[in-house]
Amino acid sequence: MAASAHETNIRCSAEAAKNFVDWYYRQVNEAKPIAQGYVNGNATYDRAGHAPADICINGLVVATPQEWEKLLEQQRQCPKQTDPNQKLVRYDVEVFNCHVINPDYRFAAPQKMLDLHAPTDGVRMMMMLTVGGTVYFGTGRNKGDGYFAKERFQDVFILVPNWDVLGKPGAKVGRKYLVASQIYRTF
Amino acid sequence: MAPPTGPRGARGARPGPRTTHGAGVGKHRATPRTDQDGDISMGSAIPATQSTGPPARSARGSRGARGGRAARSTARLAENVRNYVSDTDSSSRASKAQFNKTTLKIHGLKNSKAASNPDGGLRSLLEFLERKSSKERPITLGRGVIQGDYVFVKVSKDDAPHLLRLNGYTWAGAALAIEETSDPVPGHDRPSAKNPATADTEQKLLGILASRYNAEQKLLDLSALGSDPTLISLGSFASRSLAEKSFKVLLYLTSSQYDDAAAKEQAIQAVSLANNAIQDVAEVFTLAHTLPRLRRLDLSGNQLENLSKLSKWRHEFRRLEELHLVGNPVVAQSNSLSQIVDWFPSLQILNGERVRTPKEAADALAAWFPTPLPRLPSNLRDGENNIASTFLRGFFSLFDHDRAALAAQFYDADSWFSVSVDADHNRDPISQSYIKYSRNIGELGVRNPGTQQRLFMGGPLISELWTLLPATRHASLDQLDQWKIDCHTFPGLADPSGQGSAIGLMINIVSQSEEVDVRQQLAGIRTFSRTFVLGPSKPGAPHPYRVVSDQLTLRDWTPQAPAPAAAPAPPAAPIAAVPPAAPDEMTQLAMVQELAGKTGMTAEYSRLCLSGAANWDFNLALASFHEKKAQLPPEAFASSA
Repeated sequence: MAASAHETNIRCSAEAAKNFVDWYYRQVNEAKPIAQGYVNGNATYDRAGHAPADICINGLVVATPQEWEKLLEQQRQCPKQTDPNQKLVRYDVEVFNCHVINPDYRFAAPQKMLDLHAPTDGVRMMMMLTVGGTVYFGTGRNKGDGYFAKERFQDVFILVPNWDVLGKPGAKVGRKYLVASQIYRTF
Repeated sequence: MAPPTGPRGARGARPGPRTTHGAGVGKHRATPRTDQDGDISMGSAIPATQSTGPPARSARGSRGARGGRAARSTARLAENVRNYVSDTDSSSRASKAQFNKTTLKIHGLKNSKAASNPDGGLRSLLEFLERKSSKERPITLGRGVIQGDYVFVKVSKDDAPHLLRLNGYTWAGAALAIEETSDPVPGHDRPSAKNPATADTEQKLLGILASRYNAEQKLLDLSALGSDPTLISLGSFASRSLAEKSFKVLLYLTSSQYDDAAAKEQAIQAVSLANNAIQDVAEVFTLAHTLPRLRRLDLSGNQLENLSKLSKWRHEFRRLEELHLVGNPVVAQSNSLSQIVDWFPSLQILNGERVRTPKEAADALAAWFPTPLPRLPSNLRDGENNIASTFLRGFFSLFDHDRAALAAQFYDADSWFSVSVDADHNRDPISQSYIKYSRNIGELGVRNPGTQQRLFMGGPLISELWTLLPATRHASLDQLDQWKIDCHTFPGLADPSGQGSAIGLMINIVSQSEEVDVRQQLAGIRTFSRTFVLGPSKPGAPHPYRVVSDQLTLRDWTPQAPAPAAAPAPPAAPIAAVPPAAPDEMTQLAMVQELAGKTGMTAEYSRLCLSGAANWDFNLALASFHEKKAQLPPEAFASSA
């Protein structure tokens, strides 16, 4: 059986997917930064010469996660609205799914990680995560609040290990997996 | 309705043995409670061992007694509330075990002088019965229900004889006939469509609405309602307060004509309320909630004096583009019009004059609400070989017609497939066919075995699963507006040779497909998204690239006219309808796949079975399979069966 079918990989990828989805959409909904979740600016990946994350938003290629943050900020703008229950943009995740597409990811991996973790350990995983849901415009903080407009969204991420965090067991700060690629679509 | 007056109060204050368990006694006995904590109170007459045993009533002191009483009264209160509120299903309530209750049927109310009272005399009848039956002890009657000539009332068994004794009494000029009955108490007499008078009024009002609706202009003309002959005859607009209520009823009926908000919004884009003597929009406020996305509104010829009379609507009608206020005093006031323009961000035409360009209106609205990001066309960055377009063209045509061949071509032993469903099974009945394979990690939970079991690996397994999924028909890729395809390459995939890394291609598609479920005889249009990761193939594969990962996400589904094979019957009807001969190719294929999935036969034998005596009747084919199962050769079954 291929390593990617290993039980540990499947479980760990599902856990990683859930952690990422919980974190990412909470940050977006609370207008907090998300750039630290991308490979851009990660010292280890930068040193090894990894290309910046390819981010495609509704057909528009944005160069950096910061630019994507700016688009999200632009989306939230409504200076005249004073009612807190009508001024937010809220992403509600309804469905997500994740596959390990390379259980033996090696790019920029410290030798220690290669020695320590076999491809069946659910650590050195490259994953594809798809997320589906609804984005509400002009709404409040909670599910079920009234809204002005809504759209469906589909978000796809390629996630790769963040060696800086995975290499330090017990590390409390930082994301375990980073976005190397993203496609976002509303419909 | 009987008022809960004197008798009930008297019963509550009735001196009885319970009062001897009062606070005075409890105070002394409060000490033993500390025994539970292990402190033996020497002052207590009760041995310490007793406190660990079953809680004796006396040892609990007043607290236990009080708790019990409180619990009883709460339960009774709850029961009363239930009885009072749940008049929806009286039969189930009647069948509930209420051993100490009996139902009395009282005749005579309709013939009495009290029958002309606003409540039909029910209240005074029950008061009379209470007064007359409470000779020995106070008796309180609950809610009575009038059904036809009878009044039904539920009483306790102890009280029943006292009430039955009143049989034959004369009350308000009518002889009362009281008898015990086993009939259930009928439901509360609500005004409903069954009531012929209500239904008649409803029909008249609907007629008015229909005659005042202009489908071409999508206009609902509610102008000069006060002079409408039908409404005058109904007396609906006789007084100002009645007019307000009648207006609400009209809007309610309007809403009830549409299945959902989108249909309503589409059908009614303009409303005229001209010449209705409106003094304040609060009188017609409901309109803002019935038609929040109204585009054109005519309020001319009313009596709106100043801005404050319009201000109730200042946070409504965010999409209102055209407003007419001519003939209202407010128009004459300085600044009022500019304030109105400010209140309604989408407003472009006020009293026939353009106040904003469409662009300015869009900007003004954007200042009030977050604005979705623009949607650009497909962004295909798949290199010079156009791998993505070539792959997708072949993929969806094969997925519609020959899924087994598709799996053999592009999926190898390490390919992944999973489907996840984001659906409400009421609106999307076909989702039932997918739901047992749905790998939505958020719904399953990460440690659910389903996350392992619903991950399909390897061409044969994937192909087998695909036979179980509903048949599909995708639009041609040349219909660009039907497809949103984004793709780009990324580094870091494992090279199949085992050495180094390879470039992958990530493709995300959002599109629609027609979908047919033969088993449920359902057809519809489905919005879906599908994401692929393509990577280099292993040596000897039919194509230089293979599918590494394929994730299908199912979204909204819109029902369509049933497929040719399906009888145009509601989904709830039994699937006994015989489909007409020779359904189209796609439906045939779907039926073959369905039968193969159900029986474990190969596609060839499934097709034989269906096209033979069964003549493409799925149920017949299935029945004949079960009949002849034993005679079938082993090669009739797929190896996995």
